Amino acid sequence: MKSQRGALTGKGLAVLLIVAVAIAVAAAAFIGSRPGKEVVVKPPEEIEDYLFWEAKELTDFKLTGADNKVLGLNDLKGKWSFIFFGYIHCPDVCPLTMGVLGQAFKLIEKNPAAYQEIQGVFVSVDPKRDTPELLKEYASYFSNKFTGVTGDTAQVDAFSRQMSALYTIHPKEPNSTGDDYQVTHNSTVFLIDPQGRLYGRFSPPQLPNEIAGVFLKIRTFYNERVKK
Amino acid sequence: MIKIFSQGLAALVLGLVASSAFAGGEIQVKDAWVQAAPPGVKVLAAYLEVKNNGKQQQVLTGVSSPAFGKIEIHRSVIHGNMAHMEHQKELPIPPNASVLLQQGGLHLMLMDAKKPLNSGDQVPMTFVFGNGEKIAVSATVRSGKMEGMEDHQHMDHSAHGEHKH
Repeated sequence: MKSQRGALTGKGLAVLLIVAVAIAVAAAAFIGSRPGKEVVVKPPEEIEDYLFWEAKELTDFKLTGADNKVLGLNDLKGKWSFIFFGYIHCPDVCPLTMGVLGQAFKLIEKNPAAYQEIQGVFVSVDPKRDTPELLKEYASYFSNKFTGVTGDTAQVDAFSRQMSALYTIHPKEPNSTGDDYQVTHNSTVFLIDPQGRLYGRFSPPQLPNEIAGVFLKIRTFYNERVKK
Repeated sequence: MIKIFSQGLAALVLGLVASSAFAGGEIQVKDAWVQAAPPGVKVLAAYLEVKNNGKQQQVLTGVSSPAFGKIEIHRSVIHGNMAHMEHQKELPIPPNASVLLQQGGLHLMLMDAKKPLNSGDQVPMTFVFGNGEKIAVSATVRSGKMEGMEDHQHMDHSAHGEHKH
């Protein structure tokens, strides 16, 4: 009898333990899936190298496009933004990168929901030569998803420094007659998430299918992480 | 006339066997093209292959075109994601070798475009070499090929090419 009671107690304890574990698991799942709460999930290996360790909040900035249209942080929110810093007098690397992005956008277009969420921003670090009107023509040439903007040095820096996208405007060559100075610029493509945070980057040399494929994976990962 | 013909024939035959001992055709400029750009852009790039079939090094010393105010040889260099261009005063072409000018590397920087160029336009160019040889070439304006577009494994590609800029 005693031993039977003992056995019963053991059984009861086991049941209790199972119930307790089940409650703990359910609670953890509930906390984890609370709306608006960001879940810490390890990113898949194939996108890990493209992501910043921690999404970086950006502060507001003010850049200008054609027709005096101002672009600020709020214009980046609600979209995935691909940011590239360059200049129009850059005949090789800039058209190459912009062309790659334009092709990547075409690949992303196969996923209409994702395509709706993307935009490209070409930021000229050479406002002396690149007017907003010229930038509009230039940027839209590569994709109608692109906006071209610039600003005075302080305005450009207020944005570019948040991405550590350094640039240098070089003096003209000694025998130069025209306006043909050179510019050193960061040729990384930066990815800003729909919350307006610096989220990822594509380092040169980039390829269209790399950018499109990785972006779609990043977007899936982000959507799983930030459950609405 | 006969001499010219036989020289031409010799060049053809030698070309077919990929020989290198023909004085007149030692240097070739091949597959020249100009990166298409929107009309407001006055600075463009050209890409090509310079082939030296000879036994001596050749040096490309200059390029000119009536369509541009100035043409320079440049090399794009990307170090730690920072891109800049290095002006090359001249470009040596080693014997029995080719030098490729391609996107993201060596290129001709075409400055001060005289008029907007459209895809399909032909741009006449003259290449001058250290040995005094001049080679006239016609470069086609077109958009760059996208190597990354050729791998469509993960993409439904049915609507490719339907989009306008």
